Amino acid sequence: MSKNINVALIGNPNTGKTSVFNQLTGLKQKVGNYPGITVEKKEGICKLPRGVKAHILDLPGTYSLNTTSLDESLVVELLLNKNDKDYPDVAVVISDVENLKRNLFLFTQIKDLKIPTILVINMADRMSRKGISMDIEAMEKKLDTKIALVSTRKGQGIERIKELIADYKNLSSAPNVDAKRISPEYFERLQKTFPNEDLYKLWLVITQDVNFMPIEKKHIEDATSFTTKSKEELKKLQHKETVLRYQFINNTLKETYKVDFLAAKGFRASLDKILTHKIFGYLIFFVILLTIFQAIFDWSSYPMDFIDEQFALASEWIKNTLPPGVFTDLLAEGIIAGIGGIVIFIPQIAFLFLFISLLEESGYMSRVVFLMDRLMRPFGLSGKSIVPLISGTACAIPAVMATRTIENWKERLITILVTPFTTCSARLPVYLILIALVIPKGTILGLSYQALTLMLLYLIGFGMAIFSAMILNKILKIKSRSLFMVEMPTYRLPLLKNVAYTVLEKTKSFVFGAGKIILAISIVLWFLGSNGYSEDFKNAEQIVNDRIEQEGLSTYSKNYIQNNIDAYRENALAEGIAPEVIQDSIQSMTHDLRERAEAQEIASYKLEHSYIGQAGKAFEPLVKPLGYDWKIGIAVLTSFAAREVFVGTLATIYSVGSDEEETIKTRMAAELDSSGRPLFNLASGISLMLFYAFAMQCMSTLAIVKRETNSWKWPLFQLGFMSVFAYLVALIAYQILI
Amino acid sequence: METVQHILVYLILALAVAYLVYKFLLPKSLIHGGKKNSKDCSQDNCGCS
Repeated sequence: MSKNINVALIGNPNTGKTSVFNQLTGLKQKVGNYPGITVEKKEGICKLPRGVKAHILDLPGTYSLNTTSLDESLVVELLLNKNDKDYPDVAVVISDVENLKRNLFLFTQIKDLKIPTILVINMADRMSRKGISMDIEAMEKKLDTKIALVSTRKGQGIERIKELIADYKNLSSAPNVDAKRISPEYFERLQKTFPNEDLYKLWLVITQDVNFMPIEKKHIEDATSFTTKSKEELKKLQHKETVLRYQFINNTLKETYKVDFLAAKGFRASLDKILTHKIFGYLIFFVILLTIFQAIFDWSSYPMDFIDEQFALASEWIKNTLPPGVFTDLLAEGIIAGIGGIVIFIPQIAFLFLFISLLEESGYMSRVVFLMDRLMRPFGLSGKSIVPLISGTACAIPAVMATRTIENWKERLITILVTPFTTCSARLPVYLILIALVIPKGTILGLSYQALTLMLLYLIGFGMAIFSAMILNKILKIKSRSLFMVEMPTYRLPLLKNVAYTVLEKTKSFVFGAGKIILAISIVLWFLGSNGYSEDFKNAEQIVNDRIEQEGLSTYSKNYIQNNIDAYRENALAEGIAPEVIQDSIQSMTHDLRERAEAQEIASYKLEHSYIGQAGKAFEPLVKPLGYDWKIGIAVLTSFAAREVFVGTLATIYSVGSDEEETIKTRMAAELDSSGRPLFNLASGISLMLFYAFAMQCMSTLAIVKRETNSWKWPLFQLGFMSVFAYLVALIAYQILI
Repeated sequence: METVQHILVYLILALAVAYLVYKFLLPKSLIHGGKKNSKDCSQDNCGCS
């Protein structure tokens, strides 16, 4: 019969815990070359030799058991509580071969809790390059443990970990450092008061805000037979503990770990000097950003146009092939248009995450975090706030969760509140379609206006987050400040597998996660746009025909016919067709075009008097001052569920009743306002982009903010403040630019 | 044929509405029986890309 054991993976941030976890369990958690990837425990199963089955827990990264943040408390509380169902039978401490000294501090603390502990030394593939040599056997003896030398990048050493875990009963659970040495007299008294409890566990509870059953902090403090020390005295003893541990570690490493420092210096140090330089550092980061946004526009425009055309053709094909009826209309105008509104953005999203993933994998992202810390401080944010703010470019939800690494509550709360301002990938489709419609295609110094606009929108989002943080820092009266410490990982060539996996996962999550919502909303909108209760809707054909008979076609229809004729005439003349033949063709063409224009006018009239038209008209007065019509108003309204539905909504609304084989972009470009100007012009386009840049349009983010702040007050504040602010900025922008 | 098309449309519409209600309106505790969702928004496929 197989035996189930609990295994806890513990280690400093950025030591490759998640990589070890993935290789042990076969799961595919996200892996990054910067700290804060694991902010809550992850679980998986691993089959070990001799029929042992291990339940593996990947715990958040922590530098020591002296907790300073929520995610670190999670680790300590689990390790202290034997009654917890996840309490480990064996702890696996993951360390990084280059930072072994610092990593061993945590190892010795866990070992002192008398939990059987294995030491995994990861990134062993760098040893020769860094001039590192180790005597593993001697180190095992000194640390009284078993060691696995591992390279998760090369997949080496994982079997050894499995062997050691399966053999956990033979591991020593003796402590490395005798806790009594911290203060013999004090620990003697402690032992007398709680004779059945472990001394080091009691010490951890006394010195910080963690509890474990059955002994709780209050229980110790209230014990009449035991007088605890003042906070200052306890702090001194903690320092003494640190000194004792480092004495033990230095003594161990002196004989077992050697580094050729001449080899260790060189490339990394010089590169760091440039990339984190006060001026060049920012300049390089700025150039990298520019390159990314330029590439997103240049490289993805071809696949984007191709996808758009294919969906227009598919819609046309369905209408021509299937028997006419409402279901065919739903397929062609609702479902195909809805799916098209999702798939069209795959190239841009894939390119964005390709670049983000390359920056993370190479180790550059940590340099950005360090660089940005200088900018953050004056605004009341921690340097650690940068991780959520950068993660927010993908999605605000994991970003809000990543704030758990911030120890100080005020800084954490501010970061949670401002993170949704950073441009998440859901805003990207909105920006891309609007930029393509309203920003001209010219270039300046080789950079396109469109790419520059996109970068500006990202900077505006980031700038607004910083500005809001500054205001919140002044408003929120919570005193305290925390220290900033960030891991500077070694530069490494990005692993193609990891990069490809991130790109694939992010794109998949957009298509299948957000895509389902967009498709469902598209179907509902199509239904609401194709049905109505009013007499105007039911008699649309009669009403429009009567109007055309009396007043003629609308300006839009006349332009539509004239533009098509002009285009035909130009092409025909260029091909050398005789003028009289062209004239005959134009006469028969005009008849067809007129019929199409009439059908289009009937469809528009029906849409205007459908359910969605009625709702949009009621909402229109609110969005009219921003330069939007009722159709855009509906798209803005549905975006409050999730902002990425904007394009899908417009694609569906504009498709209803359309017989034309048109792309989403063409349909949007052809829309005119009441004065006959393009509806999507510079003023309304900028106004819309600014609205989307600042508005809080994501129900999932609001839910996660509620969970992280444990109150509805903050998400409602976010929703109200961001939406009102977005409205005002969009209003001002439109009124100035019009 | 027209009736079949109408039935199909209403069926798909009902599915779409049900999905949106499930996603945005139903309390999470009702869906997962009060237990914490193991595949919640901390993961990538949270529906917000």
